[in-house]
Amino acid sequence: MKLPKFLYFRPKTIEEALATFTAYDGNAVYLAGGTDLIPRMKLKLKKPTAVIDLKGIGELKNVRLEDHKVVIGPLVTLFELSKTPMIKERFPALFEALISTSCETLQMRGTIGGNILQDTRCLFYNQSEFWRKAKGACLKTGGERCHVTGAKECLSNYMSDTAPALLSLEASLKLVGIEGEREIPLKEIFTGNGIFPLSLRPGEILYQISIPNEPSKGGYEKLRLRGSIDYPLLGIALSGSAEKVKVAIGGIGPAPKVWEGKLEDLPSSMEKLSQEIKAIANTILDPLYRRHMIPVLSRRLAKRVFGN
Amino acid sequence: MKQYEEYKIIGKPVPRRDSLGKVTGQAIYTNDLKLPRMLYAKVLRSPLPHAKILNIDVSRALRLPGVKAVVTGFDTKGIKWGVFKYTQDHPLLPRDKVRYVGEDVAAVAAIDEEIAMEALELIKVDYEPLPAVFDPIEAMQEGAPLIHDEFPRNINIHVHIEVGDVEQAFKESYLVMENTFRAAGEAYAMMEPYAVVAHYHEGYLDIWCPNAGPHVRAKALSNLLGLPLNRVRVRHVNIGGAFGGRSEVQPADLIAALLSIKTERPVKLTLTREENAMCSRQVHDVIATIKTGVKKDGTILAKEFKVIYDGGAYSSTGPIATSVPYYVYEETYRIPNVRYDGYRVFTNKGIRGMYGCHGRAFLVGNEVQLDMIAEALGIDPVEIRLKNGLKAGEETITKSKIISSGLHEALKTVSEKSNWREKRGSIQKGEGKGIGIGCVGMMCGFPMGFRSGSSCYLKFNDDGQVTLITGIVDNGQGNESLAIQIASEVLGIPMEDINLVNADTEITNLDQGAYSQAATFVSGNAVKRACEDARRQILAIASDKLGVPAEELDLRNRMVVWKKDPSKNIPIQWIVREAFFMGRPIVGFGSYMPKIDFEREWVKRPYGQLAGTFSYGACVAEVEVDKETGRIYIPRFYAAHDCGYPINPMAVEGQIEGSIVQAGVAAILEKNLWHKGFLLNPDLLEYKVPLACDIPEMEPIIVNSYDPEGPFGAKEGGLTIRMSAYSAVGTALYQALGIPITELPFTPDVVWKALRKAKGEAEK
Amino acid sequence: MELIRVQFKVNGEQVDLSVKPYETLLETLRNRLELTGTKEGCGLGSCGACTVLLDGIPVRSCLLLTAEVNGREVTTIEGLKQGDKLHPLQEAFINHGAVQCGFCTPGMILTAKALLDRNPKPTRSEIIRAISSNICRCTGYKKIIEAIESVVQKGER
Repeated sequence: MKLPKFLYFRPKTIEEALATFTAYDGNAVYLAGGTDLIPRMKLKLKKPTAVIDLKGIGELKNVRLEDHKVVIGPLVTLFELSKTPMIKERFPALFEALISTSCETLQMRGTIGGNILQDTRCLFYNQSEFWRKAKGACLKTGGERCHVTGAKECLSNYMSDTAPALLSLEASLKLVGIEGEREIPLKEIFTGNGIFPLSLRPGEILYQISIPNEPSKGGYEKLRLRGSIDYPLLGIALSGSAEKVKVAIGGIGPAPKVWEGKLEDLPSSMEKLSQEIKAIANTILDPLYRRHMIPVLSRRLAKRVFGN
Repeated sequence: MKQYEEYKIIGKPVPRRDSLGKVTGQAIYTNDLKLPRMLYAKVLRSPLPHAKILNIDVSRALRLPGVKAVVTGFDTKGIKWGVFKYTQDHPLLPRDKVRYVGEDVAAVAAIDEEIAMEALELIKVDYEPLPAVFDPIEAMQEGAPLIHDEFPRNINIHVHIEVGDVEQAFKESYLVMENTFRAAGEAYAMMEPYAVVAHYHEGYLDIWCPNAGPHVRAKALSNLLGLPLNRVRVRHVNIGGAFGGRSEVQPADLIAALLSIKTERPVKLTLTREENAMCSRQVHDVIATIKTGVKKDGTILAKEFKVIYDGGAYSSTGPIATSVPYYVYEETYRIPNVRYDGYRVFTNKGIRGMYGCHGRAFLVGNEVQLDMIAEALGIDPVEIRLKNGLKAGEETITKSKIISSGLHEALKTVSEKSNWREKRGSIQKGEGKGIGIGCVGMMCGFPMGFRSGSSCYLKFNDDGQVTLITGIVDNGQGNESLAIQIASEVLGIPMEDINLVNADTEITNLDQGAYSQAATFVSGNAVKRACEDARRQILAIASDKLGVPAEELDLRNRMVVWKKDPSKNIPIQWIVREAFFMGRPIVGFGSYMPKIDFEREWVKRPYGQLAGTFSYGACVAEVEVDKETGRIYIPRFYAAHDCGYPINPMAVEGQIEGSIVQAGVAAILEKNLWHKGFLLNPDLLEYKVPLACDIPEMEPIIVNSYDPEGPFGAKEGGLTIRMSAYSAVGTALYQALGIPITELPFTPDVVWKALRKAKGEAEK
Repeated sequence: MELIRVQFKVNGEQVDLSVKPYETLLETLRNRLELTGTKEGCGLGSCGACTVLLDGIPVRSCLLLTAEVNGREVTTIEGLKQGDKLHPLQEAFINHGAVQCGFCTPGMILTAKALLDRNPKPTRSEIIRAISSNICRCTGYKKIIEAIESVVQKGER
């Protein structure tokens, strides 16, 4: 399968990267591990003029303690991060999400930044150019309607495993762009719109991920058909204590849903959420089933993390 | 019959000959081939499921620098191909209309792939969309869009088999049960995407492609191109899996050939994974309605079947696919009265072919229903199968004699090894745990006219090594090594002394191909006979030289030895040289035609000896169901396969294990998912081929029934497990849940919904 | 379009190539260097047939741009043999019947090699975890696992 034509750049600094991005009028993409971007380019979902490889920028790869935060560079691979003792000890939800992402080989290439900033997915979207042209454009590719529902709302699924875990840990992102730096809570990058699921400004580079250094109990529960490779058809992350537990649900719809409260209120809230959340037939499993698994898997997760 | 312990190499686990090239990366597959001045081809495909072709304009594409040729249906002879005379419906490159999304419409050969792809954009096809139909039941209704004019109501094939009086038998039955099972069609998902290299030069067409039957391939291309058979040479190449999906000529073959003929340059056409899934072959979706009548003691009295096979847009192996699930079932059980109506129906989807695991709805349905019957009668599932299972010496209801059968032994062995009685007795039905059994018979070969047999020749070098020439085909299962192993045994020389030239239509004689489970039984027999022929010649000369009767001589370790005193011997090499001197070099020839009723026809006359012999198998699966999530775990699988006698037990085990996963684990994972003529998972991410973490603990068991016809008693290497593993999962699931799940695959959502329905819960 | 100069090692040998910026490592290996042992099974990183080692780490070569491997070391299946001597994994795969159609084999062996290089005594569970990155359609995986375990037991690498 062939990639479309593009130019390749490997800047040594953030400034160089931003300058290159600007030079190509925004018709450029950033390359990290490539495990999300390269397949999308082969499917011609993305046809940039320039691909800017960030892996030459050393400051983007590190894990360290800073003030009261654990700071992670976006280019740390999922595998490396899972082998970092600090992560496993302090943030079990993140650890579990890291080791359940995809398969071991792709964990060694995929980066935490790339995993967070992945595009949403749908059986009707992640198809070749031939397939999509034949079917006709859907909402996410510039068409009028969603192929699944016929409606004007794109409910493609955000399927990162690590992002729900990071949300449950109240992570924030530092972004560096042409207009400057900004630091925002992770949950603010999700627009809830499947067509443009992430509210990054053009050219913005994820500079670092920060997690408050408060070791917590936690875990991650993933619904998938096979025991490896597959994306989550539902992913539930939980961190905190019985008094204050934070839950994030990914895999259904364009933005993870976040809930916070007392452990004892979890079951009823998850039940309510499963009825309100919109799931459509855009994955290999029935959407009604996926919704119904929210209270089931969240209950099991809570039990595993907190005991009875 | 020799005592089996006396064999030197037959029956021993032998590392396969082809493995070395495969572990070093030196083994050549079609896409690895590179020929001088080779061009690269790409195919323009129909974006519509059903449409008339009004016009194809290739002029702009031809003008693109680097493009050397473009072909459309108007470059063909307009011949429609079909496996059978009455299924000749496939133009391969159509002129008049397209019938599925992805159908080949035009193709370009260019100096590189990029230019070829660019050229496709410059081809303009005008279509007139036609109403399409995607569901076989809908397709059979009056007024449904007609996909082929010659097939009213889109019924491609109707197989009707009727013996005895089912109505009367049902009246006499103590218990009658009727159920409908359905299964989504699978993908072959062989690891190698389809590819063809065609080279037309000096009036000869050389073709390399992964295929299960080069001789049939060559014949089809000879007809389609109007070239005599000797001018179409299908060459040997390593094959990355076929599983029944590479038996027939493909549009890609014709396209590459036409482009090569036009340019007189080699042309390579490689399909992407998506094209392999959408545009080569898929597996039938099946709806099977099964009605069974039994006596109070569990004896089957009658069976009535109505089975719908969703065939996609063209016939492919039509009559065969419409019949085989029924036949393997009638080869298994004694059924005095039967009525089978199998309908293969056209829909505007990709073409469905034969598959190693074909017919899971039908087979799982029969086996699960049998368990439900057994339960109603208070009989153990193993017992009811032993009671109704066919034995050697019996005949199937459509008059195929069974000359060897390990069915009973397989059932007994697998139930012993799996601790069936104890486990079955200790499990409460419906508690989420289950152990189930499934069994099936399997034809070794079936009627393919004069092409049902195989021949082999061999020659000796004057150094005493051999070249074996046979049409035997290896799709990856180990047939090449099998041929060499047989030769090694009969000729008394080590395997490394034997070269194999196979599956090359210029050199090898007719062979039925790696199709219908015939390679060991038919091709293997031909190899054995050729070697015995050479052996007789060697022994005749040696007898003279040693002054000892030929019957008292043996071939061992490159020597002719006197059995009574092995110190009296002579190297085979000397005999070979002597034979050259005599002007009668040692050349062996052997041929085998299975004893089949050649008057048998799938549709017109479905009675008579179907195959030379039948193999048998039985599987036991243990399942655990998480009832809250519907998720099924398969911790253990036992599979007993009666292969007659294993030529290479390690290879047979490999087949058994692969089959457990490809059929048993697939039962909870695999399905092609469709949306109005579009395949939603034409890839290897969303199509769920089981991974190493998904497999059960497996115990493969080899059962010997010493077939009187098979070479060294051998039949076939493992297909029974491919067609019974899912039944074991289905029956185990029945015990685990207390209700039958009648929809495959048994993905968690399917199980969950069935459980809720059983509890009467409404949909929220 | 300008080509990019890439210098890297393949199976211990230095190569100096000019490649297209959008050329994948898989294409370079198979088409330019004619090392056809590495296979394309899907082109989208889902099957593992294209697995090679990049500085010892298993990667999907169909998802890598050749431009990215400047200065790095690539090992393909052709690089496992030392002269006439097969790597213990290659021997084991042959002897245990872990090879059927062979299309997944190069990727599978390299994934196993990378595992043993970083963890010489993996448990069965760790072996399964590693090779669950690679699809095999033929063998059912059992003999592949047994082949790898046999190498672990013998203590060879």
